[in-house]
Amino acid sequence: MTLQVCIMTPDRIFWNDQADEIILPTNTGQMGVLTNHAPLITALDIGVTLIRSNSNWNPVALMGGFALVKQNQVTILVNEAESAQTIGVDEAEIAFQEAKTKLEQSQGEKQRVEATFVFKRARARYQVVKQLGV
Amino acid sequence: MQALSCKKALGSVQAFTARPQTSVKRANLQVVAVSIKEVRVRIGSVSNTKKITEAMKLVAAAKVRRAQEAVVNGRPFAENLVKVLYGVNQRLRVEDVDSPLVAQRPVKSVALVVVTGDRGLCGGYNNFVIKKTEARAKELEGMGINVRLICVGRKGGVYFRRRPQYNIESTFEVGQQPTIKEAQAIADDIFADFVSQEVDKVELIYTKFVSLISGSPVIQTLLPLSPSGEVCDINGNCVDAAEDEVFKLTTREGQLVVESEQVRTATDDFDAGLIFEQDPVQIVDALLPLYLNASLLRSLQEALASELAARMNAMSNASDNAGELKKSLSRIMNRKRQARITTELSEIVAGASSV
Repeated sequence: MTLQVCIMTPDRIFWNDQADEIILPTNTGQMGVLTNHAPLITALDIGVTLIRSNSNWNPVALMGGFALVKQNQVTILVNEAESAQTIGVDEAEIAFQEAKTKLEQSQGEKQRVEATFVFKRARARYQVVKQLGV
Repeated sequence: MQALSCKKALGSVQAFTARPQTSVKRANLQVVAVSIKEVRVRIGSVSNTKKITEAMKLVAAAKVRRAQEAVVNGRPFAENLVKVLYGVNQRLRVEDVDSPLVAQRPVKSVALVVVTGDRGLCGGYNNFVIKKTEARAKELEGMGINVRLICVGRKGGVYFRRRPQYNIESTFEVGQQPTIKEAQAIADDIFADFVSQEVDKVELIYTKFVSLISGSPVIQTLLPLSPSGEVCDINGNCVDAAEDEVFKLTTREGQLVVESEQVRTATDDFDAGLIFEQDPVQIVDALLPLYLNASLLRSLQEALASELAARMNAMSNASDNAGELKKSLSRIMNRKRQARITTELSEIVAGASSV
């Protein structure tokens, strides 16, 4: 337990706790961080981060941002973060399916950009409740 | 229901005070013509109204405090963001940043984001913002630039929807506590507009919180962002993002006052060993939307604080007004009562002497 993980959103500090390991959804794929990692900065995609303390994996949906790893301190700044407790399973699934069809039917640059955002967010929420990717 | 009845009562106070100002004589005559009972009823209604406006003032004051807490809660995020932005910029000085959010294009159409309140009864707050928007829209149209409006808050939406000369893109309602979800929805909208090149510039018009007595509507350029995250007004004057003002509502000698303090975030260079997992440009790409959202949220919070402060003032004025009205009405009533007693007495005396 030597990794200090701090997730911040614009309105509050969402998570501030010790952890053993964290897997980040970076722009270039998933990346695991263990203790004594070299200092690093990475952009985060909209996706799920997994935080391990002992043998418990905690999934948290992150809505885009970046992470800074420095001296065993992981600072994550995101637009929005949600944990499994605050998401309803059924709603997440419905929202996911809706966003998917909307993205497939989108036309024009503007609609596509918007639909992609909605889809990615819905997918992250859905993955958190389903605990996929563990 | 309560809000409705209180609005009615307030209207009567305003109508009441307006009369003596326009023609003093007529107002006096009118009051003379009514019976003591009517005056007494009126005093009752005025003092009820005063109670309501006083309560509304206190509610607004309590909410200002909550709005200020929200700003304080957002500090750690803003501080860290500025720190990282600064550090990345130090590294990027030599390179050209090419992010969609900083793209400077020749301006053909502009989106104006107008932040107003959802409710009235707050003095000129909503009107000032609307007037400023109209002036800016006129100015831009004079330059041959297309203007679209994005209205945040009900009052602005209602006003501009009634005027067909304005092209309203979308409207948002924020409610009594702006959260990141609302800021995000607005940011997504303008982001999509800007990236798809439907607009070339996004300006934000909101009321900056100065103090409890004054808040002034300001115009700020939201997009394109400057790569170093400076906040710019429309004239191109930029303020360093590391400097920030935090306001605090306190009481001094029984009066509510606002103290604002300048906060400077310590910015230092990253250590040389820092690994950039992606291309620095990609990291800036991830940082800037975050910055956009955070600054939008901050503006919404400040606008809300200004609205509440304006409401506090308006209600305090209304209470004072009602108090004065009550005083002059009770003077009239006492005079009438005295007159009646005098008449009765003189009648009795006259009757007794005639016996």
